[in-house]
Amino acid sequence: MESLHGLGTATDWVVMIVYFIGIMLFGSYFAKYNRSTNDFFFGGRRFAWWLITVSIVATGVGSHSFVKYAAKGFEHGISSTMTYMNDWFFMPLFLFGWLPIVVYTKIRSIPEYFQKRFSPSARFVATVFQLLYLLGYLGIGLLTLGKIFTPLLPVSFSIIGISIPVTLMGVIITIAIITGVYTTFGGQTAVIFTDLIQGIILLFAGFLIFLMGINYVGGFESFWHLLPPDWRLPLADFNKPSDFNFIGIFWQDGVAGSVGFLFMNMGLLMRFMSAKSVDEGRKAAVFNVLFMLPLSAIVVGNAGWIGKALTQMIPSQLNSNVNPDEVFIAVTHIIASKGVFGFVIAALTATLLSTVDSLINAIAAVYINDVHHPIKKFFNKKTGTAEHEAKQELRAARIASIVITGLGILATIPFSKYPTVYEAHGYFHSTLTPPLVTAIFLGVFWKKFTPAGVLATLLSGSSLMILGARYPALLITPFAHGTPFDPIHPYTYISALYNLIACVGIGVLVTLTYNLQKHVVERIKKLGSHSIIMTALIILIVISLLLIWFNIGSLAILFTAVILITISISLTSHYYIKYNPEVQLDGLTAWSIHRAKEIFKGGKVNEREGEVIKANWKLKNDNEDVVNVSKEDMKRMEAEVGDLVYVSDARKYLGGLKSFHSKFGEPHDEIGIIYIIEEHRLTAQFKVGKILTAEKEM
Amino acid sequence: MPSFSHSWLPFIYLYVGGGIIFFSGMYMIQKSKALDLRLNRNKWWRKVLYFGFFYFLIIHAVLIITALYW
Repeated sequence: MESLHGLGTATDWVVMIVYFIGIMLFGSYFAKYNRSTNDFFFGGRRFAWWLITVSIVATGVGSHSFVKYAAKGFEHGISSTMTYMNDWFFMPLFLFGWLPIVVYTKIRSIPEYFQKRFSPSARFVATVFQLLYLLGYLGIGLLTLGKIFTPLLPVSFSIIGISIPVTLMGVIITIAIITGVYTTFGGQTAVIFTDLIQGIILLFAGFLIFLMGINYVGGFESFWHLLPPDWRLPLADFNKPSDFNFIGIFWQDGVAGSVGFLFMNMGLLMRFMSAKSVDEGRKAAVFNVLFMLPLSAIVVGNAGWIGKALTQMIPSQLNSNVNPDEVFIAVTHIIASKGVFGFVIAALTATLLSTVDSLINAIAAVYINDVHHPIKKFFNKKTGTAEHEAKQELRAARIASIVITGLGILATIPFSKYPTVYEAHGYFHSTLTPPLVTAIFLGVFWKKFTPAGVLATLLSGSSLMILGARYPALLITPFAHGTPFDPIHPYTYISALYNLIACVGIGVLVTLTYNLQKHVVERIKKLGSHSIIMTALIILIVISLLLIWFNIGSLAILFTAVILITISISLTSHYYIKYNPEVQLDGLTAWSIHRAKEIFKGGKVNEREGEVIKANWKLKNDNEDVVNVSKEDMKRMEAEVGDLVYVSDARKYLGGLKSFHSKFGEPHDEIGIIYIIEEHRLTAQFKVGKILTAEKEM
Repeated sequence: MPSFSHSWLPFIYLYVGGGIIFFSGMYMIQKSKALDLRLNRNKWWRKVLYFGFFYFLIIHAVLIITALYW
């Protein structure tokens, strides 16, 4: 396989540096809209759907897609679009199950949901899986950045006479250090606006490459007929070859990946949570999947298709043996002029850098929220004033960020062994998402799912997955739908099906045997030595897990260990966990969304559908967080005192940037006037004389 | 001409397998009243959800026909 080097010119590097500085300054401008941690992390729940939609494009397109889909587009053609067009199946469950729960319960992280729905121990185990998932994502991001930059650099540098070769790992480490310096300005509001502009630029850059490429090969008809017939199909061959087949990708991406992306990706969820209402978040998600993803599929994959057409048309121009992960860079370099090449690479790497940077922040946030705080709470540790504690926390977050970046670099090692980023990402989705995806899914949609069920799903399910990875020919082949067995990377994609079945099977089995477990635990409790028995069961879980992790013993012994783990978890969970379904299901499953709304509002929900009114604003003297509108306007909005209200600058192109949420106070008689307090004005940065709109939320 | 296992078989599996997930999801959100059809806006959402399923089905079918016959 041929590797490229030294493609970047001086003009390209200048364009890249100017682009980076411009984007950072643009983001920093929006930091002034942050007045609380809610604003910082969640953008203050204020934005219009269209703004969220475009900002999501940079998340879906920018991260690693250009490299991996161009690679598969080059190797297999239009079917590289497959993964962008199979997300609709889970939309009903996401839009009306998970999204309202996340917004209305105000959870700040996925593990926090596990604590509310199940128990603190479920939160702890979920935190470990969530951190592994995020670290894996970080590893993929760093690996992709390394693969983009390596072709731009020479084969080696010479410093004071010493020749330093440019290696992939060397580039990754350097990028990780730069990422640490590339500070995120201004939190979520800044991220949304930076991503908004980057999303537009990325779409523009992608279509620019497509149009230049089509022109280069002599028009669309020429391009289409240069592609071999198999390259024109939108779906891959059913079950071959092993590195790209429909059935594996359906289970790995269409099922595990889609649920992982929609239900587990906190970065994406935080975008939807920054929408002004749940309905607005739904609109953003729908528009994104229906229109932006198909467009994005063309944007990210077309360099590979053009590359394939080029190899058919002028074989000398692009070596068909080129490293697939470098096809995007190689094709862009051939068809784009100097400067344009630099612009495309800058747009791509800037988005990737901010994705990687956001990931490091997200992992640090999970560490602080789900590890640091609970440990501190457990030891009841108070070290001084609130200000002193905040400083300590910030220091802990910074140290965590450094450690996380180091772990991210380590995470690239297993992924770099795969021939392409696409396969590395496929392996990542197949192995790291099923336990948590299953746990969230059953937790949200199955009321009977118990703490024992969730712990067994995570621990026993992942143990069965490890056995599958060790004995793929025996355990995964029955589910492989005839996909070829690759001894080096066995069942990269279809292993997702085995892993999902293992996790769901364990979770369902443990939950359905609830009464039996209860009966056994009650009998154990009657024994004098019940606490010793439970301690022995916990030791048994630890020993069994160690046997599986370190592969000690034959398959029969390890399989017995999984059974012992499952039984022990079921019994110890019943013994130790205080689970009250009435409280812990309240507003936390798809079956109690109405209650979630009531809890969010703090009272009875008013679902009557009213109008959006326009009004001038005036400041009032008190500091009570309510707005007052006229009786007439209240009637038009079908609103009552205490209902939630969203007030925004009436200029639609602002997308809700100047807006705030509050409650309705007692009405007055001045039609067309809305009274607000100084804090509302500061949050929304309203200007004198500008008209506002007000609408009842619930 | 590409084989059946590369053209229509993945399409059939995608929309039968995906369809089972989609229609089970629709059933679940209506049964649980998470999609409360007493509200007018939720009736609109139900139409949007069905539209999305058939929208992707038609896009994939058209792309396969184009690849095979154009």
